[in-house]
Amino acid sequence: MKSGLNLRAASRALKAFGLSAALVALPQVAFAAAASPMPAYSTPAAGAPGAQAPVAADKGAGAVEAAGNPLNTSGPTADAAAPGYTPMKPTPGIGMPVDGGIGLQKQFSPFGEYGRWIHDIVLIPLIAAITVFVLALLVWVAVRYNRRANPVASRTSHNTLLEVAWTLVPVLILVCIAVPSIDLIAKQYKPAPKSALTIKITGNQWFWSYGYPDNGDFEVNSYMLNLPGQPVINAGVREVGSKPWDGPSHMEVDNRLVVPAGEPIRLQITAADVIHSFAVPSLWFKLDAVPGRINEKVLFIEKPGVYYGQCSELCGVKHGYMPIAVEALPRAQYNAWVLGHPGGLIDGQKKLIDATAQAPAAGAGETAVPADNASEAVPAVETTSSPAA
Amino acid sequence: MATTADHFQGHVDDHHGHADHDHKPGFFARWFMSTNHKDIGTMYLIFAIFAGVIGGAVSGIMRAELMHPGIQYLGAVASFFGDDASDFNATLHMWNVLITAHGLIMVFFVVMPATIGGFGNWFIPLMIGAPDMAFPRMNNISFWLTFAGFCSLMMSAFVPGGLGNGAGTGWTVYAPLSTYGSTGPAVDFGIFALHLAGAGSIMGAINLITTIFNMRAPGMTIHKMPLFVWSVLVTAFLLLLALPVLAAAITMLITDRNFGTTFFDPAGGGDPVLYQHLFWFFGHPEVYIMILPAFGMVSQIISTFSKKPVFGYLGMAYAMVAIGVVGFIVWAHHMYTTGLSVNTKMYFTAATMVIAVPTGVKIFSWIATMWGGSLEFKSPMVWSLGFIFLFTVGGVTGVVLANGGVDDVLHDTYYVVAHFHYVLSLGAVTALFAGFYYWFPKMSGRMHSEFLAHVHFWIFFIGVNLIFFPMHFLGLQGMPRRYPDYAEAYTHWNQVATVGYMIMAVSIVIWFINILYAFTAGKRAEGNYWGEGATTLEWTLSSPPPFHQFETLPVIEDAGHH
Amino acid sequence: MNAKTLDGLGRNRRIALMALAVAAAMLGLGFASVPLYRLFCQATGFDGTTQRVTEDEAAQIKAVANTMSIRFDANVERGMPWQFKPLQRTDDITIGVRDMALFWAKNTSDHAITGTASFNVEPEQVGKYFNKIQCFCFTEQTLKPGEEVRMPVLYYVDPAILNDPDAKDVEQITLSYTFHPAINSGAKALDRTASGR
Repeated sequence: MKSGLNLRAASRALKAFGLSAALVALPQVAFAAAASPMPAYSTPAAGAPGAQAPVAADKGAGAVEAAGNPLNTSGPTADAAAPGYTPMKPTPGIGMPVDGGIGLQKQFSPFGEYGRWIHDIVLIPLIAAITVFVLALLVWVAVRYNRRANPVASRTSHNTLLEVAWTLVPVLILVCIAVPSIDLIAKQYKPAPKSALTIKITGNQWFWSYGYPDNGDFEVNSYMLNLPGQPVINAGVREVGSKPWDGPSHMEVDNRLVVPAGEPIRLQITAADVIHSFAVPSLWFKLDAVPGRINEKVLFIEKPGVYYGQCSELCGVKHGYMPIAVEALPRAQYNAWVLGHPGGLIDGQKKLIDATAQAPAAGAGETAVPADNASEAVPAVETTSSPAA
Repeated sequence: MATTADHFQGHVDDHHGHADHDHKPGFFARWFMSTNHKDIGTMYLIFAIFAGVIGGAVSGIMRAELMHPGIQYLGAVASFFGDDASDFNATLHMWNVLITAHGLIMVFFVVMPATIGGFGNWFIPLMIGAPDMAFPRMNNISFWLTFAGFCSLMMSAFVPGGLGNGAGTGWTVYAPLSTYGSTGPAVDFGIFALHLAGAGSIMGAINLITTIFNMRAPGMTIHKMPLFVWSVLVTAFLLLLALPVLAAAITMLITDRNFGTTFFDPAGGGDPVLYQHLFWFFGHPEVYIMILPAFGMVSQIISTFSKKPVFGYLGMAYAMVAIGVVGFIVWAHHMYTTGLSVNTKMYFTAATMVIAVPTGVKIFSWIATMWGGSLEFKSPMVWSLGFIFLFTVGGVTGVVLANGGVDDVLHDTYYVVAHFHYVLSLGAVTALFAGFYYWFPKMSGRMHSEFLAHVHFWIFFIGVNLIFFPMHFLGLQGMPRRYPDYAEAYTHWNQVATVGYMIMAVSIVIWFINILYAFTAGKRAEGNYWGEGATTLEWTLSSPPPFHQFETLPVIEDAGHH
Repeated sequence: MNAKTLDGLGRNRRIALMALAVAAAMLGLGFASVPLYRLFCQATGFDGTTQRVTEDEAAQIKAVANTMSIRFDANVERGMPWQFKPLQRTDDITIGVRDMALFWAKNTSDHAITGTASFNVEPEQVGKYFNKIQCFCFTEQTLKPGEEVRMPVLYYVDPAILNDPDAKDVEQITLSYTFHPAINSGAKALDRTASGR
């Protein structure tokens, strides 16, 4: 009721921000963004020696699974794919914490900018004012009503007007906070459009797997890079700082989550063992990975760049050592990265849609599944042929 | 509040005659089979201090480890508990054991025993003019169940709990990390500790409710009860309603772990998120269980040292009732990132913000109580003023976190750690120290040093702010909680926090010196050593009160303030 | 001890018993929450819980002109030696018309394994409109060593979704399954605790 009102009021009030526009604007924006110069993006030198992706010597290949082989292999994996792809060098202070920093990280998503606006412009001044107000009152009573200044205490213990006021004024303040706050939630929950790229994230003890169902169904495992001078955390993974593109220690990984920038992405998150949480502060993104179900949320990254995050739900001994590195690339570079993987498809999603579009008859046939078949408990239809995806 | 001491003076004089032939049982019977509410209260307080030292030492290890990136001391700690020091997994597991132990100890074995078991036991009967608790023997069982729970938790540290010894699930014991994610008996010991402490607390709650409802002195109507009694009454109801839900949830964890059930295991149709719903249905009222008695104590103290009755007594009492009621319908704000639906998240955002209203009523009423008063800055008053300020800081960051959309970036970061330590560690614990200095001479019969109490306050105040204020910055910068190690960029504020811990630790030493001073050189305390502002019934008795008090019930007359 | 005190003790006992009854009721509610939560989710579609309907109920649904994109997602719990995937990644269906999706699973181990699937849909608010007439998730599935199966799901999206303002922006629904080793299947070879390396 109240929230509904707030929501309507809020959406009117906040049209001015044009924040919803970012989500509504789709691949056109994406391609436009891809074409425009990207300050955070450093162009890799094609064929440079560094272009070879790191290879885990003792684990062999198998990092990247093609369509017919969807099982997750454990163990650190080599991003053997993507010849010509060099991981992006992160910009210091962008997409990562800053030493001595006292505020939110710079945001690179529309929700992030909106959320940061709510925090920095609405909430912080308000809570600071309330705290200072209470502190000022405390100081005032201490000065004015101490035993020397006021030897005889009054016996006042009621003031109806005052009591009503300090009940109602906070209510009004809270309503003012609730308007943008509820509006932000409403916007965050607007589902991704049908055409959005879907990426599948699986939390494991203690690494992340990134699946690309729309790009040929390959999967990449992502482990934290080992720390020099500390015991080996992930066997077979190199140490942080051994490649020129490595970001901060404890946050850089062997295989980043590579995504296109400037378009909505449908992130679907689950876990294979215990609960994890996929969190990237500079993208205003945090969603739990719960075993046995998927959670879904839209991610829209405005600019190419590398954005770091860390697992944010206690998941066992190496909870602190399963960071997240998101590398957002312009669409063209993303496509090149995808094609570097065995079985990688550009716009595989589109092909699948085409395929289904040709089969309206089949769809009609399916609706006419014989009743006797349907009334039974579902039979597991056996087949000997391997599925051709 | 209309209760004033003047009206009982006659009875109390009469009573002192009886006190002389008080016979106290021998040492073992007195302290191990105690049925005396004051003795049991004392045992709770000593137990809470002991547990607090252990819980504080655990946080000391954590702050030491977090002073620099990398792993420095955890290996040594792990080998102390019987792990192989060269096993890095066991070393890292020790971190999770420490955070779990710190949380469980501080919540279940420090704050709750101190506020409800300690001060509640001591002063509820005194303040309502009752000779003892309604069920003195059940009172004894409550204490020893709590003690047994603590022993069970301590034992868990020495038995396997997954990749190392001890339970490393976090105090929330989320499934499935706590079920198939942690093998070995440590988690069972930890859960059993919660069962024992919970059973003890439920018995304590029943005892307090019966005592407050049934054993008030003639004339002490429910609307004349001191606010501390009100706060404990509301707390007891919260315990009664919330703890059984926790008991059910963790019992199901035990059966999931050991007997093949799948209450929270998706493999058998269970839902791990349901465990979180159940836990936080208990867990959110639990934070009010910890803070409401603190509210009550601070109300008594502010009134005493302002020499004024509490402003808006009814509003204060029913604000606590409102906080208790609303506390049961906001639990999912601890679960904003679990994949709640949009309507659920909006509802919990709005409901959570509502809590700020009764909380604001309390803060402004305290200030209004002081307004026009004749303030005396004795140590309990200074601690209470500190409480109001620190609780305000913790409260306003709670308003920030209440926003489901903003929580997306702050959830499970150090911002949350800062928030709940401001309301609990700095809030509840500061109020506990306020209550301690307020009532210590009453309980012990010896005056503490006011000078040391003030020094203790200022050093503690500086220390805890240095520990926890920078944690807001760490959280805003994205540092997740429950991490033994961090990126270099988080170093600066972590070092500040660790320095803050050292300062805070010094203040605790001063506190112990003060206690030592009181027992060795402290003046004997009079019955009412705080003077005219102290008007509740405990001030009509000697310090310490006789072993059995109010054998003739005091009669409370309407002083006509309403 | 006079009569009045004894009276007091009786009253104490009554209040204590009432309080105990409250605590016991909350304990019972705690345990009851598991089936109650399940019923609540099934009734309201909370948490993206899909609906299960009979053939008769499904027959009464009228198709509408609108279409909806359905995405299929398949997962296997860590350590379970199965391969499991949808045979179509997405499908455009007509709302109110039943459709069939096929999933494929293979037991890659050398022993028979019984699996059971958990499931949900995203976005969550469409759970109450996503109806399954048949599903391999209704029962446990046993695969012999090396065996492969195709498993159908017969479902439709309730046209009522078009009238729900909460669902008006939904263009694609994802139906997700996760296979777990059935707890009582005796598939003890799957050490669920042996995570980590």
